[in-house]
Amino acid sequence: MGNVSLCDAFKRYDDIVAVNEMTLEIEDGEFLCLVGPSGCGKSTTLEMISGLTLPSDGTISIAGDDVTDDPPKDRDIAMVFQNIALFPHMDVYDNISFGLRLRDFERAEIDRRVEQAATIVKLDGMLDRSPKELSGGQQQRVGIARAIVREPAVFLMDEPLANLDAKLRVHMRTEIQRLQKELDITTVYVTHDQEEAMTMADRIAIIDQGVIQQCAPPLECYTRPANEFVATFIGSPSMNRFDGVVRDESIETEHLELALKPERGREYELGDEDGGRDVSVGVRPENVYLVSSDDEPASPSASFAAVVDVLEPVGDQTYAYVRPQSASAPPSTDGSLMGDATEQLLVSVDPDTSIGEDERIEVVFDREKVHVFDDASGDALTHGLVGPLPTDDAASSSEEVQGD
Amino acid sequence: MSNPVTTDAAEKRGIVRQVVDFLVSEPADTYRLLFYVGLVGFISITLFPFYWLFILAVTPRGQLRNMGLVPEGFNPSVFLTVLQEYPLHHYIFNSIVIAGITVVICLVIGSLAGYAFGRVEFRGKGPLMLLLLLISYFPGITYLIPLFEMLSGTLTIGVFVTPDLYNTPWSMAFPFTMLSLPLTIFILTTFYSQIPDGLEDAARVEGTTRLGALFRVIIPLSAPGVATAAIIVFIGVYREFFFSFMMTDGQPDNWAVLVYGILNFQQQHTELWNLMAAASLIGILPVALLVILAQKHIVRGLTSGGLKE
Amino acid sequence: MMRTIRRAVSPVLYRIERLDEDRYGYLLIAPMFLVLSVLAFYPLARTFWVSLRADDLYGTEPIGAFEGIRNYWMILSGDANVVLSYPFFSLENPLSSALVVTVGITLISVVIGTVLGLGMAVILNKEFRARSVARTIVILPWAIPIVIQGMMFYLLFQPSISSLVEPLHDLGVLSANPLVSSRDSMLMIILIDVWRKVPFIALIIMAGLASIDRSLYDVAKVAGASKWQQFRLITLPLVKPVVLIGMIFYTISSMKIYGIVEASTGCSTVPTLTCLVVDTFRMQRWAMASAIAFLTALIIGGIVMVYLVQFRAGVNADE
Repeated sequence: MGNVSLCDAFKRYDDIVAVNEMTLEIEDGEFLCLVGPSGCGKSTTLEMISGLTLPSDGTISIAGDDVTDDPPKDRDIAMVFQNIALFPHMDVYDNISFGLRLRDFERAEIDRRVEQAATIVKLDGMLDRSPKELSGGQQQRVGIARAIVREPAVFLMDEPLANLDAKLRVHMRTEIQRLQKELDITTVYVTHDQEEAMTMADRIAIIDQGVIQQCAPPLECYTRPANEFVATFIGSPSMNRFDGVVRDESIETEHLELALKPERGREYELGDEDGGRDVSVGVRPENVYLVSSDDEPASPSASFAAVVDVLEPVGDQTYAYVRPQSASAPPSTDGSLMGDATEQLLVSVDPDTSIGEDERIEVVFDREKVHVFDDASGDALTHGLVGPLPTDDAASSSEEVQGD
Repeated sequence: MSNPVTTDAAEKRGIVRQVVDFLVSEPADTYRLLFYVGLVGFISITLFPFYWLFILAVTPRGQLRNMGLVPEGFNPSVFLTVLQEYPLHHYIFNSIVIAGITVVICLVIGSLAGYAFGRVEFRGKGPLMLLLLLISYFPGITYLIPLFEMLSGTLTIGVFVTPDLYNTPWSMAFPFTMLSLPLTIFILTTFYSQIPDGLEDAARVEGTTRLGALFRVIIPLSAPGVATAAIIVFIGVYREFFFSFMMTDGQPDNWAVLVYGILNFQQQHTELWNLMAAASLIGILPVALLVILAQKHIVRGLTSGGLKE
Repeated sequence: MMRTIRRAVSPVLYRIERLDEDRYGYLLIAPMFLVLSVLAFYPLARTFWVSLRADDLYGTEPIGAFEGIRNYWMILSGDANVVLSYPFFSLENPLSSALVVTVGITLISVVIGTVLGLGMAVILNKEFRARSVARTIVILPWAIPIVIQGMMFYLLFQPSISSLVEPLHDLGVLSANPLVSSRDSMLMIILIDVWRKVPFIALIIMAGLASIDRSLYDVAKVAGASKWQQFRLITLPLVKPVVLIGMIFYTISSMKIYGIVEASTGCSTVPTLTCLVVDTFRMQRWAMASAIAFLTALIIGGIVMVYLVQFRAGVNADE
């Protein structure tokens, strides 16, 4: 059993709160990514699990035992570090066997395990090399071998791929995933790269300012972000956002009106009491379409005009930055509050689409994929303006905590 | 051929003009010339006193008066005389033992403190380092009287009297520890702080305690730093004068060090110049060897210790 | 046996493991603090305390009654000169007073030594074959025992054997026996001090030179600066803070000068401040000796402050 649980874990450095009453349950064999911007507290969380940092308050348990005050060596964990942290005065064999030797394993057993670990990470025949003679990728493999050789209950990985070049990083990503599935060891993986988190994890915990914003499987975080922070952090390029106001039958933004009818009814989170509420409307670039393109969505919003600003072809698609033109609806009363960021809209279009810069186009949103967030709290109000929504939203589950 | 003198003079004038022309037209080469002149100058000024010692030592005593810059005669047996008739080796042995004791004490205490200053974030670190700097700033004489009282057994604390260590290695090793410890700590702090972060964390996750990580990972990795500190402390103690002079009565059996081995010649046997020179050369030998073997360490140690503000 | 030890020690290790950063740091510096308290802080306090007492030349203990700053006052006003072997400071005969001699030696030695050290650093910072041999040779004067440094020059200026003294005497630089003339002995002490300390300050300056970004010189070359201009406009300003640090260490050390004096000319011809303390101490005047020692420390402190102000000004001017 290698489940890890944090209960109200709290860490304060002088007057900075690094981790604020975090409660997190990681199941046995799970691959969990802690992701967030730098300084959000994800590394501190990992350090508390490892015991390198002791929490100011709260408890941490591994495999059912309370280890809150135990030093790292007494927790059944192994760790892979961002700067790899191989001991330069030892060869590969000694590096991998370091933990086993400290625990007075039999010589034969150490040999067997080191051989096995080396085979798993494809380092056979390199055991007598010095770390200096190895490439970056090989060094990180040694780091991983050093972790797996101990057969711990939990793997902790602190941005292990951050120092590798882009190509190697993608390759190692798959290898770590494969390894984790093979060994079936609970893994906590810290990264600032949301793409890495999305591709690798069973579940991701998005952290901001020491608080978990959402903890859910990657696709759920993508399609049903619990709040505005998660919505903009997950997904690249980022989600488009507009300020708007909920009216009787629609959400009014500067450039268009998103009708809530005809399906408006009790199933919606947006009830009558929401009338007049300031909201933020979010839509991902791939959910914005050119009018009259082949793949126009089933339930499009009203269209509006825009002028193409810049085109960025990336190969399989082209990103078009467009400037919405003055809307058919009268200017919203709080239009002045709109920042520059909302002036521009990012649209993902098919690379074969023949549009040019400065061209005037008509775009629509896929109403099924429009997210609405409360302006004040940032919490998600609804994901999609169509059809009966599933019963209560994931946003209100226990892991989700407000961003302020 | 017929008139070599005038040709010579003409040639000389020609050479001078050529040199001047060359210096003006080729500034890069002028700088190179200056560089070699400077280099040769520094090295010969540095080495000349050593050379003087050497020729003094090997010149037989009868020919010493107003001797020139080349030895008149060669008498290497003087080095044996110094060792056989005067126990110079005994003084040198005492110096080396005391320097060794000091090095060990400084490294043990300095490793712990240097590690703390280099790798542990604790409150009051800055002021404490300043305090260390302050110690090395006070002249040795400000410590002399209390240390003399303490180490010669005349200081009473309540009913206890401090042990009389005068004429033992400790009466010098303790003051030397005080003198050398700040520099040791500065050197080791620099080295420890250069060890990459994470190695210690890795060791702890793998199963050591924090102290275990210090001894298994940090100290082995900073071996060059430890060696540097050891060499600098050793040289520092070996060359020290003040406490070596004040803390013994000058008898080699009472742990008098090299200082007395040399001064005895000056104070008791005033005319034995060649013996003085030979004794000095032998006294230089241990540090000269150390400097030749460990030049890089010394340069690194002096600069890292010196530049730490 | 081992197991019992382990069992006894492990709770202690566990406690250490659980200490927070602050306490862990304090634990590690505790041995240092203890040792220095006994060997450095206590002696400093004690010296200061003794300096406030009277001398007792006839009692069982050389320390008499408490007198406050009377010793300091006597030294500074010159009243103490009658009991000292040479004056601390005297207007009538400045060259025989300890303060003037020490400050004079320091001043001249630091100026000459720093200029030479800068030159040596520039030369040894260049890449050339046998550079490490040159460095090794040049470090030697610093590394050899102080007593031998003194002895070398004592032998070099010994009129009966050295062929150096006579020509210099004929030129009027030295007197017939430089070892007994105060003025000549001072020159000799300055020479020894420069000779042994140039390598030290050169090494420090070299570390500063090594940290200068090489590409700055490329920029200067492209702009058409000559080597001398490069030195004056780039090297000198950038290396100035390091030179000042080196000069601070040089000055502190020269102000404490004693060993080379004792080993060459003797304290009676070149009475430095430390000589004065030692002689006074030997006369059993412990309180007076302590007061002079502390005054010396204060004077050094004052000089270091002047440097630090310079240093600050230099750093601020660069900003």
